[in-house]
Amino acid sequence: MAASSSTHFYGTVEEDQYSHQQPLPLPLPQASTIPGSSAAAPLKKKRNLPGKPSKQQVSHSIMITGPDAEVIALSPRSLLATNRFVCEVCNKGFQREQNLQLHRRGHNLPWKLKQKNPEEVRRRVYVCPEPTCVHHDPSRALGDLTGVKKHFCRKHGEKRWKCDKCSKRYAVQSDWKAHSKICGTREYRCDCGTLFSRRDSFITHRAFCDALAQERATLPTGINSIGSHLYGNRGINLGLPLLNSQLPLQDQAYPSTDLVRLRAGNGGSTQFDHLNAAAFRQLHPPHPSPFYAGGGPNHGFNEDPQFAASSSSAAAAAGLFNLGFFSNSGGNTSGNQSGHLLGPDQYINNAGGVTEPTMLITGNLMNSHIDTNMSSLYNPSMHSEVPQMSATALLQKAAQMGATSSGGSRSSMLRGYSGSYSAGAGHASLESPGIHVESENHFQDIMNSLANGNNGVSGGVDQQVSGFSAFIPDSDKMDEGKLHHNLSAGGIGGPDRLTRDFLGVGSMMRSMVREQHLGMGMSFMDSQKKSGSSNRSFGGGRLP
Amino acid sequence: MAPLMANVVQDEGSSSVTSSPLKTFSLMSLSPPSLSPYSPWLRELKSDERGLCLIHLLLNCANHVAAGSIDRANAFLEQIALLAAPDGDAMQRIASHFTEALARRALRLWPGLYHALDSTRAVVLPLAEAAAARRHFLDLCPFLRLSYVVSNQAIMEAMEGERVVHVVDLNASDPTQWISLLQGLRARPEGPPHLKITGVHEHKELLNHTAARLADEAERLDIPFQFNAVVSRLDNLDVESLRVKTGEALAINTVLHLHSLLASNDGAGDPRQAQRTAPVSQLTLGDYLEKDHATNGYSPSTESALSSPFAPASSPARMESFLASLWGLSPKIMVVTEQESNHNVPALNERFVEALFYYAALFDCLDSTVPRQSVERLRVEKMLLGEEIKNIIACEGWERKERHEKLERWARRMDMAGFGPLPLSYYGLLQARRLLQSFGCEGYKVKEENGCFLLCWQDRPLFSIAAWRCKRYD
Repeated sequence: MAASSSTHFYGTVEEDQYSHQQPLPLPLPQASTIPGSSAAAPLKKKRNLPGKPSKQQVSHSIMITGPDAEVIALSPRSLLATNRFVCEVCNKGFQREQNLQLHRRGHNLPWKLKQKNPEEVRRRVYVCPEPTCVHHDPSRALGDLTGVKKHFCRKHGEKRWKCDKCSKRYAVQSDWKAHSKICGTREYRCDCGTLFSRRDSFITHRAFCDALAQERATLPTGINSIGSHLYGNRGINLGLPLLNSQLPLQDQAYPSTDLVRLRAGNGGSTQFDHLNAAAFRQLHPPHPSPFYAGGGPNHGFNEDPQFAASSSSAAAAAGLFNLGFFSNSGGNTSGNQSGHLLGPDQYINNAGGVTEPTMLITGNLMNSHIDTNMSSLYNPSMHSEVPQMSATALLQKAAQMGATSSGGSRSSMLRGYSGSYSAGAGHASLESPGIHVESENHFQDIMNSLANGNNGVSGGVDQQVSGFSAFIPDSDKMDEGKLHHNLSAGGIGGPDRLTRDFLGVGSMMRSMVREQHLGMGMSFMDSQKKSGSSNRSFGGGRLP
Repeated sequence: MAPLMANVVQDEGSSSVTSSPLKTFSLMSLSPPSLSPYSPWLRELKSDERGLCLIHLLLNCANHVAAGSIDRANAFLEQIALLAAPDGDAMQRIASHFTEALARRALRLWPGLYHALDSTRAVVLPLAEAAAARRHFLDLCPFLRLSYVVSNQAIMEAMEGERVVHVVDLNASDPTQWISLLQGLRARPEGPPHLKITGVHEHKELLNHTAARLADEAERLDIPFQFNAVVSRLDNLDVESLRVKTGEALAINTVLHLHSLLASNDGAGDPRQAQRTAPVSQLTLGDYLEKDHATNGYSPSTESALSSPFAPASSPARMESFLASLWGLSPKIMVVTEQESNHNVPALNERFVEALFYYAALFDCLDSTVPRQSVERLRVEKMLLGEEIKNIIACEGWERKERHEKLERWARRMDMAGFGPLPLSYYGLLQARRLLQSFGCEGYKVKEENGCFLLCWQDRPLFSIAAWRCKRYD
């Protein structure tokens, strides 16, 4: 029947998808090409293409048609019913309505083949009837009736088909068929004699196989470190010397990863390792270092009991030990279960006497990072001036000064400047003198506040910016001192605005420079008066 | 000395009288200023004072650019040029990038010039450079790594017990996050699931690189893995190409990219037109301070004066439809990392001040943790942050992609699109803090707020991480 053949096809598609990792191109068929199919017929869509994926709310009743998709909840009985459409004459059962209709023709009964109306056809999604199942929730409904049938059987049904070669049992006939095709065709055999048909179970087994362990124990080189690296241990790194380069053993030891798949439960902390490492850009491709092994084998390492403890504590412990630890491999965590894999002494022998599990810094950035840390310590002292304020602190200070100038409630710089142009939107030269004077006063106030800012609002500024930089109080005090000194020196004291220091710089200058500076300051003020014609301001020496 | 004094006096005299417009114009046409009187003064400037000076000049310049008075803006730019330097201290660097942005903005008044300049510098920075800059940012600052750690933790928690996990990365240029997710999944007590990652990106090469790296890592860790590459821009992404199976456990992740969908043609084609409204929405630094103090900007007093951040989050249609289509996929979790600042204000002045404060914090962070001569830092500042600044200040309409918004607006937007908040777990916070500890620099903080995390530098939130779930059948 068409239905069964199509479902079979989809069955294989599903498996292929996982093994080949290639998306199979299937066109998205239109629903209207399925003539007269009822709710039971699967939509002929490739399973992993979304239709119109939006779904609507469903209550406990069977169907509610929403604007987009219907969520259909069938009872187990109706889900598994094979022949739902029964002929009333001879009681023959059919899976599809259409087939029944065609059969009815034979009895000379009225029959009607319904076309599925392309406008009203909707995407249908199905929930699993088992209440404990994840797919019982409408938001996790499956898109395919056959799919949901198979799911229900597999997960919640009894396994009635059994493979004759091995002992595997299946609830779904197609699964059984598919398995029996490959059963015995591909095999992995462990050295201990056990046979596997699946690669992952083979690998897991090998990790724990006792026979293998004994063999490995006698091997001289790299193989031990292969396993060991995967027990990547963060725990080792207390007080470890930093190494710049990866030890050569690592490269030859880097194997395929088919050894171990650990299931230590350290949850998210393993990803954390990687991020730590990844950040410090490795020059090499991310080979795991074999030198973590020390932590893996439980014996002889103090961290061991911690790893034996709950995963969270292990994570915490590991996290602590992560300081400065750069691993890029799976920090696959505690080698709890790996007791038989390696002895640390064996490992140490292998590693050629490098007994402290050394930390490998796989990127040069760690060094540069240390450098940066150190240099940042030195930075302040490298400046000839006082420790600098950060840019954020400067902005806060500027805003604060603007806010506290004596000219008004909030004559910030912007307001002062804007006054000069907003009046004319660009034709400030036509402004009335009043505005000029006003902006001038504003500017005055701002300059005053800037100059005196260190004095008057230093307290406020301190609080303001204390969160930002520890340097600020110092700088304030220093400026304060200088300003006081300057102003009290009586050189140019007085209310004359000419003598206001721009930004309190004056104390640092000789008088000559100060005058230049004042000229500059004045011309700044002028520039404001002239609404920013600063060409002129710099041309102080060129006035006609 | 004396002539200078004389000049000064003269100036003063002239200014106390009504200035004549003619004088202004004639003076403006004078030859460019001679710098010699100023060099010793400039050298003597302390960095703080220079910084304050720069701030003044920058704000002035921005005002003039916003108003369209290019001549005055030009004068200020010249002054700034004396003080700013891309390799100086934090304030100097900020100034050099902001002035470049302002200059470009000013150039918009001559569209021909503007587009001519734009077209010769590659439409998008050469891929390799941009990618390198982003990598440097990943290395130098912990923000991206924090985001990855927290997002991965949230995803893993949401996917507990799932056998098949499908992750969609809306900007898959960097495999780092997913490599660490692979590591994390490996260590699950129940074993790793089958992981499918769908990466969306404009450029095929980056996607291929990401795919290769991830496939290698998965192979190494022996995790069943699949990578689907979707070469597409976010704004014309077809969600069907993401191939989300119905009923599968889906996680969506986006880091510093979702805001690009907020770009729209907000009628700012004519810069003059936009600027006529500028005076109304001018922001003073003082206003900004006040706003900043209030929690996350809840300051009713300034709301009238400013374009309120609490206007009904009017998302452009594109963002709405995108979120709706994502909602249709029924993701179990959607993790969004975004810049925590309001750079999506129509008025240039306000945007300028917001950006100034925001990038000041970022530049400070770099200044405190990376040495001045570091080439990587220069690259980050120029090619990553500088480009963002240029986009925020100089571009308008569709071009302006860096439309950062604060967390509250995102929250409201997601809520209206049918997503409910999914609080980030305490364990995630612990991990983030642990990462910071091992990063080793002082000043970084992770704060938790309403189930979302804010990554801060010195108490200034710079990035927000939040998780959402599909609100259905609630």
